[in-house]
Amino acid sequence: MTVEGGVQYSKIAEIKGPLVVVDDVDNAAFDELVEIETTEGERRLGKVLEVGNGKAIVQVFEGTTGLSISGTSAKFVGKVMEMPVSKEVLGRVFDGLGRPKDGLPDPIADKFVDINGEPMNPEQREYPKDFIQTGVSVIDGLMTLVRGQKLPIFSGSGMSHNLLAAQIARQASVVGKQDDFAVVFAAIGVQYSEAEYFRRSLEESGALKRSVLFLNTADDPAIERIITPRVALTVAEYLAFDLGMHVLVVITDMTNYAEALREISAAREEVPGRKGYPGYLYTDLSTLYERAGKLNGRKGSVTQVPILSMPSDDITHPIPDLTGYITEGQIVVGRDLFRQGVYPPINILSSLSRLMKDGIGEGSTRDDHSEVSNQVYDAYSRSQEVRALAGIVGKAGLTEIDLKYLELGDTFENEFLTQATDENRTIEETLALMWKIVSKLPKNEITKIKDKHVEKYYQEK
Amino acid sequence: MASNSALESTIDKILKDTEQGILANIKSGLDDSQQNLDAAIPRLESEYDKIISDGKKEADKIEKQITGSSDIEARNKQLMALEEAVDKVFSTALDQIANADRSGDYSNLIKTLIGEATQILGTSEILISTNTKDRDVVQSVLSQFTGAELSSETFDCLGGIMVKSKDGTMTFDNTLDARIERLKPLIRKEIAAKFGVGI
Amino acid sequence: MAAQGRIVWVSGPAVRADGMSDAKMYETVTVGDSKLVGEVIRLTGDVAFIQVYESTSGLKPGEPVVGTGNPLSVLLGPGIIGQLYDGIQRPLRELSKASGSFIGRGITTSAVDMTKKYHFVPTASNGDEVAGGNIIGTVQETDLIEHSIMISPDHKGGKLSNLVSEGDYDLETVLATTEKDGQSVDIKMYHKWPVRKPRPYNKRHDPTVPLLTGQRVIDTFFPIAKGGTGSIPGAFGTGKTVTLHQIAKWADSQVVVYIGCGERGNEMTEVLVEFPHLKDPRSGKPLMDRTVLVANTSNMPVAAREASIYTGVTIAEYYRDMGKDVVLVADSTSRWAESLREMSGRLEEMPAEEGYPSYLASRLAEFYERAGRVQAAGSPDRNGSVTLIGAVSPSGGDFTEPVTTHTMRFIKTFWALDAKLAYSRHYPSINWMNSYSGYLADIAKWWSENISEDWFKIRSETYGILQREDTLKEIVRLLGPEALPDEEKLILEVARMVKIGLLQQNSFDDVDTYCSPEKQFKLMKLLVDFYQKGQQALKEGTALSDIRELGVVSSLLKARMDIKDDEMPKLEQLDKDMQEQFKSISGVKVSN
Repeated sequence: MTVEGGVQYSKIAEIKGPLVVVDDVDNAAFDELVEIETTEGERRLGKVLEVGNGKAIVQVFEGTTGLSISGTSAKFVGKVMEMPVSKEVLGRVFDGLGRPKDGLPDPIADKFVDINGEPMNPEQREYPKDFIQTGVSVIDGLMTLVRGQKLPIFSGSGMSHNLLAAQIARQASVVGKQDDFAVVFAAIGVQYSEAEYFRRSLEESGALKRSVLFLNTADDPAIERIITPRVALTVAEYLAFDLGMHVLVVITDMTNYAEALREISAAREEVPGRKGYPGYLYTDLSTLYERAGKLNGRKGSVTQVPILSMPSDDITHPIPDLTGYITEGQIVVGRDLFRQGVYPPINILSSLSRLMKDGIGEGSTRDDHSEVSNQVYDAYSRSQEVRALAGIVGKAGLTEIDLKYLELGDTFENEFLTQATDENRTIEETLALMWKIVSKLPKNEITKIKDKHVEKYYQEK
Repeated sequence: MASNSALESTIDKILKDTEQGILANIKSGLDDSQQNLDAAIPRLESEYDKIISDGKKEADKIEKQITGSSDIEARNKQLMALEEAVDKVFSTALDQIANADRSGDYSNLIKTLIGEATQILGTSEILISTNTKDRDVVQSVLSQFTGAELSSETFDCLGGIMVKSKDGTMTFDNTLDARIERLKPLIRKEIAAKFGVGI
Repeated sequence: MAAQGRIVWVSGPAVRADGMSDAKMYETVTVGDSKLVGEVIRLTGDVAFIQVYESTSGLKPGEPVVGTGNPLSVLLGPGIIGQLYDGIQRPLRELSKASGSFIGRGITTSAVDMTKKYHFVPTASNGDEVAGGNIIGTVQETDLIEHSIMISPDHKGGKLSNLVSEGDYDLETVLATTEKDGQSVDIKMYHKWPVRKPRPYNKRHDPTVPLLTGQRVIDTFFPIAKGGTGSIPGAFGTGKTVTLHQIAKWADSQVVVYIGCGERGNEMTEVLVEFPHLKDPRSGKPLMDRTVLVANTSNMPVAAREASIYTGVTIAEYYRDMGKDVVLVADSTSRWAESLREMSGRLEEMPAEEGYPSYLASRLAEFYERAGRVQAAGSPDRNGSVTLIGAVSPSGGDFTEPVTTHTMRFIKTFWALDAKLAYSRHYPSINWMNSYSGYLADIAKWWSENISEDWFKIRSETYGILQREDTLKEIVRLLGPEALPDEEKLILEVARMVKIGLLQQNSFDDVDTYCSPEKQFKLMKLLVDFYQKGQQALKEGTALSDIRELGVVSSLLKARMDIKDDEMPKLEQLDKDMQEQFKSISGVKVSN
C-alpha cells in the first residue's frame, strides 16, 4: 500500500442518479476507488467510470441520497477497490461491499486483491470433469454439476429456488476431505428473511464455519450490488486457488444485479440495448460468471450456482438469455410444477448441464448414465406431448403406447423428481429410479440405450 | 521596463535559490524521516512485544476457556482478543506520537509533509492547518514554502498537517492520523503474525 | 514518424489521446505507462480515438501514447498450427509464462517461436522472376501440414537470388533475396499482413465441392460447399457449440481455424484438451495438427474480441494461399457485433437498430466476402478455399434481431437451431423446415459422381416425407393420431424413424459422431425403401401395427450407432433383413 493518500476534491459539477461528476480533477485513474465525504463527515465509496478533460465521473455504491453540490468532496484513493482476504474470512459475515457485518473486526489480510479479478487464461484452465453429488436426483441424474462449472438456477418470483440452492450447498459433497470444501454465499438485494434462511441452513448443517456470507439485502443501497458478487468471487478465488479449497458460490438474485447495472447505464445516458439494459450486459455478466473454473496445477475449484428470477417467468428476457449464453447450462424452475406442489419443481426439458457429459460415466458415476439420461429426457418429452394431446382428444384418442408414456410422466414427477428438502440420495439410488422410469416402456421404444445396458439394467415387470 | 526586468531577474534568482534550498530540504527531510522511521520501528517493536506477550497469554486463556464450544465461536473470540491487542498497540503508539518531542527532527518531518502535499496537489498556493501543538513548528518552516499560508484555525489531530489549495477545490490530508490509518492494515497483519493466529 | 501523444480521456476500453496528428487510421499504438496495445479507430484534429485491447483499469490522463507506424497485423509463417492465440495473435501459452494462470497486461510476445528450425526444401531457383504470392519452398509444419513458404502478396516482384539450399533454418534466416531496380529485398520464412485487408488472389471459382462434415443433417440435407458461407443461429442451449465443434473436428479440410469470440473459457479448454487426442478420420493424425485456435473469451477485453475475427480470417487466407481448404468457424459473430456496438457507443455514433452501429451490415458483408474458393496469387498455380461458418447468438432466440437478419443476407447455408428440438434432446437441433442451403444444386453433381446417381432423388423423397409430416402434425394436434388414415400414419411413423435414425446424431458416441457419405446415403436409402415397402404392404392389406412391430425398425433406428463406417456389409444385411421381414407380413390381414 502506498503512503500517498488521495487528494480530496470538493468541486462537484453534477450529481445525477448514482453518479457524481467531479471537476478540476487532474490525477485520477480509470476504475480508481473514490471516497465520497459529506458535510456531516459520512463516507461513501465509489469508483471512477470515466476520466478526462479535468472531469471524473464517479459511481457511488451507497447511492447519492443526501449528497449536495457544495457539501460533498471526493477523495481519489490511488488504487482500485480491493478486498482483504485470508483464511479467517471463513465463518464470517460481510456486507455487500465486503465490510464486516458480524461485529467482528476487519479480517487480517493475507493479501489485498483487486475485486475485479483478472481473466483466467483459457490455456491454463483445467477442463471441469469431477462429479459433484448434490443428492438431488434430478440434478445428479439429468443435469449433473461438476467442479468448476457455472450452472445457474432460473426461477421466478416466489418459487422454491432458495430451498433448492440451500439443499445443494448443504449436500454437495465432493470426494475428499470436508475441510477442502467451502461455501461462499452472496445475497444481492434479496429479503432479509431469504438471506437468513440460507445462513441458518448452513449453520444447522454445521457448514457455517466453512462458509463466507456477503449480504446486500433489499433495504441496502442498490448500486452496492455491483460490488457484492465481485467481493464474493474474489474471496472464492482466494480460497480456491491460494488455499486449494473446492468452493461453491451461490449468488442470489442476479436480476437485482442487472437492474443496478441498468440504473447506472441510464444515469450515464448510454444507448440502451434490449429492455433498457446496457449493450455491455453480456460482457459485464461474463466477468462474473467466467470466474468459475479450475486451473492447471492448482488444487481448488470455483463452482458457481447463481440464482436469478426471470421477470414474468420469461426465459427470453435479457437477463436469463445472456446468462444462458455464458453459463454452462441452466436449471429451470417451472411454474406449473411449482403450482402442483412438486419439489424441486425443475422443468427438465429446458434445463441442461453442458459439462455433464464429461462428469459422468464409467469411473465417476456409471457407464450407462449418459444413455439412460438421454432416454429419460426423450421419454419425458414425449410424455408431455401426449399429455397435451390427451387434454384435447381425451385418453380414448390415444394409442396404447401413448398411454404408457402418460403413465411414465407421472412416475417421473412423483417418484423421481419429487424429493424432500432433507433427502440426500446417492447416485446409485438416482440411477435406479431412472431405470424404473425407462422400464415403463417396452424394449423396442428404447432407442437411446445400447442393448448391453438394457440387458443389464432393464427392470422386467 | 528596465527596472522591471531587473526586478524579474532578482525574483528569478531568489526563486532559484529557494528552489534549490527546498529541493535540498525535501531530500534531507525525506532521508531524515526515513531514518526516523527506521529508528522508530525497533522501539515500537519492543513495545509491541510486551503487549503481545500479554495478549498472547490472554488469547491462550480464552482459547482454553472455550474449548468445548463451537469452533467458530472460539475463532471469533480469538479474533476479538487479537483486535484488542492491536488496539492496545495502536493507542500506545498514538500516545507516544502525540506526546513526542516537537523539537529537532520533527520540523524536518513537517517540511517533508508540506513538500509532499504541494507535489500531490500540483500547486504551491496552499493553506495549511494543523493542531495547536504543531502550529509553531509549521510556522517556523513556512517561510521555506512560497505561496504557503498557515490557517488561523486549528483542529484536533495527533500531528502533521491538513493542506488545502487556496481556491478551495482540493484537500490533501497529511496528518499523522491519516498516515497511520493507511498503514493500519499492514501493522495489524504484522501483529497478528506475531500472535500466530488469523492467517 | 511515429505519433507521440498523451491520454486525455479514459472510459473502459476507449481512450482519447491528443498530440496524435501523425497517427494513421487503424495504426496500432502503445497506450500508457504499462504499454497496453491499442488501435486508432478515429482521428479528429490531433485527437485520436483508440480502442485498447487490454484492461484499462488504472490508466490516467497524461500518460503517453506512442504510435508503432503499423496497422494491426498478424505474423504468418510456420508455427501457427496448434497454437491458441488471443484476439491479437498473442500465444496464450506464452502469456501464461509471463503472468501465470490469469492474463496480465502489457506483455509482448512473438506469435510463433522465431528460433525453431524447420527443414526447408526450395522449390524455386536462383534467377527466377518471382512475384508476390510465389512459393519459393516448403517446410513440414506438422505431420499434417506441408507449409509453403510464400513471398508476401504485396511484394513488388523481382529476380530471385541467394536462395539457400535445402536444410534446417529458423524463421529469421534470410532464405533468399529479390532484386529489382537495384533494390534488394530479404525473403524469410514469414511475413506480416494487416488483418483488416483481405489477401489478394488471382481469381474466384464457383463453390461446387461439398465440405463434408460427417454430420448427416448437414451433409445430406443442408450442405455447405468448400469456399462457401454458412451461419448457425440458435438460442442458448440449442447445441450451437457442440455442432461447431463437430464441424471443426470432422470437416474434410486441411486446416481449421476456430475462433472463440466472446464465448466461454472452458469451451476453448475443451478443444485444447480434446483435439490432440482425436484422430483425423482420413489421415489418422491428431486433429490438433491441423487446427489453430483464436480465443478471446467473453471476459477478456472487448476490443480484442472485435479484432479476433480478422486475426482468424487472415490466418485462414494465408493457408488458403498455399492451396489448402480451410474452414473457419467463428463462435459467435453476435459477440463480435456487440463489441462493435460497445465501441460505437463510446464513440457516441448515431445508433441504428437495437443500438448497433449503422455499419454493422457492411462489416458483416466484408467478413463473409472473405470466404471463397480461389486460385491463389503467384505461381505455381494452386486452388484453395476458405469456408466461413459463423455462429449467431440471437437475443431471446429471436431470428428477427439485427445480427441474424443481416447475416442471412450474406450467407448461403442457414442451419436454424431450434430450442424445441433441443428441449426434447433431438440433437443436432437443426430445424429441417427452417434451414436451407443455397449450394444443394451445385454440389449434387459431386454426390452423383462419387456416391450414387440416385442421391438427389432419394434425398428429395426423404425430405418430402418430413414435409408431409409437418402438415399432418397440425391435424394430429387437433384431432389426435387416431383420426388419420393408415397411409398417413405410416408417414408419421417413417418421419419419426428419419428423425431418430438419420437426423439425430450423437456427437458423444464413438461411432455416431462421424458418418461417412456412403453410410449417410445408405441409411437414407434404407429408410426410403422402408417407406415404399410399407406403403406397398398397406395397399396389400397389411396392418400398420404389424409394420410398426417389425424387428427391423429398431435396427434401422440404432444402425447409426451400431454399424461403423467400415462395416457397410452390415447395412446390406439390414437391407436383406428388411426385405425378408416385409415378405413375412405380406398379405397378413388386419388382426384386430
